[in-house]
Amino acid sequence: MIPFIVLVPVLIAMILVFLLRDKYAKYIALLGSLIGLALFPFIRTGTSSITWFSLGNYTFDVVASIANLNLLLLGIISVIAPLIILYSFGYMDRRSEQKRFYMELLAFDVAMLTFAMSGSFLTLFIAWEFLSITSYLLIGFWNQKEKVAKAARKALTIVLIGDLAILGSMAIVWNLYGTFTFSNIFASASQSPQLLLAMVLMLIAIMTKSAQFPFHEWLPDAMEGPTPVSAFLHSTTMVKAGVFAFIVMLPLFTVTKLSVVVSIISIITVIIATLNATKELHIKKVIAYSTIQELGLMLFAASSGAVVAAVYFFFAQSFYKALLFFSAGAAMNANGSEDLNRMSGMKSNRWILITTLFGVLSLAGFIPFDGFFSNVAIGHAFSSNIEVYVILSIISFLTSFYIFRWFLLNKREGNIEVTLKYKMQPRSMIMSMGILASLTLVASIAYVYMPGFLTSQTHYSLGHLIIPGIGMSQYGFGFVDALFETVVIALGALTSYTVFIKKKKLSHNVLYYIVYSSVIINKIYMYVSRFVYEISEGVALLDIYISDLFDDIGRGIFGAGTSMRKLANGKVNTYALAFYVGVIVIAILLYMVG
Amino acid sequence: MQIGYFVVAFGVFVVLANIVGRLLFGKKVHFEINLISLLVLSSISLSATLIGSYANLGIVLSINAFSLFFMTIFSFAMVLVNVIAYVYSIDYQDFALLSSFALLGMYIVSMSTSLITIFLGLEMASIPAVFMLLLSRKSLEAAVKFFIMASIAVSLFSFAMALVYGGANSLSLSGVQRNSLTILASVLFIAAIGFDASIFPFNIFIPDVYQGAPAYLTAMLGGLNKKMGFAALIQVMIILFISFKSTFLVIALLSVFTMIYGNIVAMKQNNLKRMLAYSSIAQAGYIMIGVATTSQFGIEASLVQIVSHMFVFIGLFGIIAWLEFNNRKSVDDIIGLGYENRFAAFSLTLFMLALVGLPFTTGFIGKFLLFTSAIKADMVWLAIIGIINSVMSIYYYARPIMASYEMRAGTGKIRLDFATKAVVFSCLMITLLLGIYPQPLIHVSNLAATYLFAHQYVLP
Repeated sequence: MIPFIVLVPVLIAMILVFLLRDKYAKYIALLGSLIGLALFPFIRTGTSSITWFSLGNYTFDVVASIANLNLLLLGIISVIAPLIILYSFGYMDRRSEQKRFYMELLAFDVAMLTFAMSGSFLTLFIAWEFLSITSYLLIGFWNQKEKVAKAARKALTIVLIGDLAILGSMAIVWNLYGTFTFSNIFASASQSPQLLLAMVLMLIAIMTKSAQFPFHEWLPDAMEGPTPVSAFLHSTTMVKAGVFAFIVMLPLFTVTKLSVVVSIISIITVIIATLNATKELHIKKVIAYSTIQELGLMLFAASSGAVVAAVYFFFAQSFYKALLFFSAGAAMNANGSEDLNRMSGMKSNRWILITTLFGVLSLAGFIPFDGFFSNVAIGHAFSSNIEVYVILSIISFLTSFYIFRWFLLNKREGNIEVTLKYKMQPRSMIMSMGILASLTLVASIAYVYMPGFLTSQTHYSLGHLIIPGIGMSQYGFGFVDALFETVVIALGALTSYTVFIKKKKLSHNVLYYIVYSSVIINKIYMYVSRFVYEISEGVALLDIYISDLFDDIGRGIFGAGTSMRKLANGKVNTYALAFYVGVIVIAILLYMVG
Repeated sequence: MQIGYFVVAFGVFVVLANIVGRLLFGKKVHFEINLISLLVLSSISLSATLIGSYANLGIVLSINAFSLFFMTIFSFAMVLVNVIAYVYSIDYQDFALLSSFALLGMYIVSMSTSLITIFLGLEMASIPAVFMLLLSRKSLEAAVKFFIMASIAVSLFSFAMALVYGGANSLSLSGVQRNSLTILASVLFIAAIGFDASIFPFNIFIPDVYQGAPAYLTAMLGGLNKKMGFAALIQVMIILFISFKSTFLVIALLSVFTMIYGNIVAMKQNNLKRMLAYSSIAQAGYIMIGVATTSQFGIEASLVQIVSHMFVFIGLFGIIAWLEFNNRKSVDDIIGLGYENRFAAFSLTLFMLALVGLPFTTGFIGKFLLFTSAIKADMVWLAIIGIINSVMSIYYYARPIMASYEMRAGTGKIRLDFATKAVVFSCLMITLLLGIYPQPLIHVSNLAATYLFAHQYVLP
C-alpha cells in the first residue's frame, strides 16, 4: 500500500486540474508533482499488494515491488516531472487548452510511476497500457494538424502491438506458474519452450516501447508532439520502460538465453539510429534518433552482462536528454522553424547557450559530465571484446559528430528578429534548463555509488545476477579507455566543426593543423560523411517498407476484408444458404470426428 | 413470501402496465408509467439477486441465481433502451408495448428448466423484434430479412427439440445421452440459437438488420436480444451437452471464425452502425470463448463479458441515436465531435476503449477473464487467437476516436438532450465503476455459474 502514496498527490492534482479553471492548471500540476517529489524519500523498499479481484481460487493482485532499481526510475520520474511542467509554463503558454495538456501530462505521470513500481505482470500490463494511451493523447495534442494525427496513430499502432504481446506473454506465464508476481516467477523459472515463447512476446513489447529495430520508426515521428512531451515521454521516461522491463526480467531472459537475440537487435538499432541521426535535419528528430541509439546501447549493455553500466547509463541519460529537448524547443520558438539548416542565433542568449553546451558535451561524452562516465562504463565493459569495442568507438565518434553538428548549426549568428526572440525566451524555460544542466554534473557523482546502490537490495533477484561475476567485474574505470574515448569524441567534434563551420578561418590549433589542413584527409572525411549519408538513405527506405506493412495491416489484412464483406451482400438467400451450409458443414465435421 | 416471485409478477405487471398505457394514455404518461415500472422491476430483481431468493415456478420455470442474473441485467438494459427510444422514436408507444413482450420472453428464456420454455421465450422475444422493425418504414427490408432468418432458426430449433425428445423422452434441461441423433441436435441448437447470439455463419444478416433498424432498436437487438441468445446457448450447451467434447470444440472453432469475421470486416466499414454491428459479432466471438471452455470459470467470464458488452453497446447506441438524429451516420461525419459536444466524444472514446479492453473498464475484466479461462482449460491457442483479434480490433475502434477529435471548420456546440445524456452517463458509470471494482459483478456471475453447473432439471 505504502509505495502508492507517491501517486496520490499527482492524482489529486489531476482531478483538481480537471475541476478548476484553465489558469490554475499549471500551478496545480507543478505543486502536485513537487509534493510527489517530496514524498519520494519516504518510499521504502519492499513488496506490497492489493487484491483487485478474485474469482474462485484465483486472485488477481496489484503488486507494488520496490527494489533499488525501481527507486532509481521513480527518482528519475519524480525529478524530471516538475521540471517538465515548469518548462511547459513558458512553452505551452498561450497555446490554448492548458487544462487538457496538464491533465494528460499528469495522467501520464501516474501511469509512469505505477509502471516504475510494478511488481507483477498484471500491474506492469495495466501501467503499460495506460502509458500507450496517454502517450497517444500527448503526441496527438495538436491533433488539428493531419501530420500530428498520423504520427500519433503510428505511435499507438506500434505500441499497442507491444501491449497485446504482453497480454499474450502474461497468459503463457500464468499458465506456467499460476502467478503474475515477478518474485514468485523468478523463483521457479526454468528453461521451457512455453517460457521462451512468453519471453519472445515480452521482447516484442520491449522493442515496441523502447523503439528498437524494426519498431523504431514511431519515435522520430512522435516528435510532432509538443516539446515538453518529447522531453518527458520520448527521452527520459516512457521509452525507457522497455529497457527497465528488460532489466527487471533479466533472470527470465537469461534462463531462456534470449539475451543474445537482444544484443543483436539492439546493436543493429544502434547503428541505424546513429546513421539516421547523422543525416536527419529535423531539429528534434536528431535527438530522437540519438535517444533510439542510447536505448539500443542500454539494451546491448544489459543483455551482454554489463548490467550496472546499463543502469548507470539509464540514469545519466535522462538529464542531458531532457535538456537537449528543452533547448530544441527554445530554438524552435525563436526560429519558428524545425529545419536545422535554418536554425541560428543561439549565441544571443547566454543562458540557453551555456546550458545547451552542457547537454551537448554530456551527450558527446566529455569529462566531467555524466555522459562521459556512462560512455566509459560501457566502453570498459567491452574492452576485452575488440570487435564490439571498435563498433562502440565508431558510434561514439559519430555521436559526437552529429550532436556537434546540431549544436554548431544552432549556434550560428542569427538575424535581429531571431536574436530578439531568443532574448525573450520565458524565464521558466531557462530555469528548468539550468537545473537540468547542473544535474548533468551531479549525476556524474552517482557513477561511484551505482554498484553499491544496486547490489544492496534485500529481495528479488537483480542482486544475485550482478554479484557473481558478470555485471560487477565489468563495471569500472579504465584510464586508457577513458583517454581513448575522449580522443575519439574530440575527433568527432572536430570533424563536425570542419564539415559545417570550417570555411571561416584557419585555426591555430595544432591538432587541427595536423589532421585537417591536408587536402587528402579532407577528401576522405568528405567521402566518409557522404558514405554515411548514403547508407542512411537506404535505411530510411527500409523504414518506409516497415511502416507500409503496418499500414497494410491497418487496411484489413491485405484486402481480406473486402472479399469477406462481399458475403454480406444484402441478399437474404445468401444468408439462408450460409446458414444451412454452416449447419451441414458442422454436422459433417462432428460425425467425422465421431 | 419469496421476493423471487415478485420479479416474475412484476415482469408480467410491466406488460399489463404497457397495455394500459398504450390504450388509455398519451406518449408521455405511457413513458412515465413504463419507466417507473421498469425501474421498480430492475430494483426488485437486483435485490432478489443480491439476497439470493430462489423459487420454482411451476415445473418449467425456475427462479435461480442464473436466471436472476440475466433478469436483472435485462431489466436494467430495458430501462436504458426505453429512454433512448422515447427520445428518438416516432411510435414510442408501440415500441414500448412490443418491447415489454420481448422482455417477458427474455425472462422466460432465463428462467427455463425445459427446452419448450426456451423455445417459447426465444419466439416471444424475436417476433416482437420483427414488428418493432416494421414500425419504422425505413427498416422494412431489415424486418423481412430478420423474419426469414428467424423462421429458419425456429424450424431448426423445433427439429432439434424433437431429436432430443426422441432419445430422452423428455424436454427437460438435463444431460442427454450421446448418440448420432443428439449430435445432430446439438448442431441444430447451435445454429438456431446462433441466429440470436450472432454466431458465424448464422449471423451474416446481422449487419443489414443493425444498420437498417433505427439506433434505439439496434441497441435493443444487440444489447438484449443477442444476450438472450447467449443465455439460451449457455443453458442448452452446458446442461444438455456438457459431455459432448467435440461439440464444444466446434463452438471454439465457431468462436474463432466469429471473431475473425467480425473484426476483419469491421475494419473496412465506414458506417458507424454497420461497423458496430460487426464489432458486436466479434464480441460475440469473445463471449463464446468462455462457453467453449466448458468450465465454470469460463462461463463466469462469459457472463462478465455479456454484462460489459451490453452496457457499452447500449451507451454507444445512445450516442449514435443522437448522431443519427443529427443526420450523421459515417465515421467521417463525426469529425469534430470533440469540439461540438465534449461529453459525447469523451464517452464515445471510453466506450470504444472498453470494447478494445482497456484496464479499468469492464471490457478489460471480461476479456482478461475470458482469456485466462481459455488458458486454464488448456486452450492456449484459443486465448492467443483472441488476443490477436483484440489487436486487429484496435484499428477500427481507434478510427471514430481519431475522427471525433479532429478539428473541422465551423464547428459549433451541439446540445445532447438530458435523457440521452442520462443513459450514456449511466452506461459509462457501469463500465467504469465495475471496471475499477469488478468484485460485485464477478461475485454475481460466480453465483450464476455455480448454480448452472450444480443443477440438472428432471421433469416428470
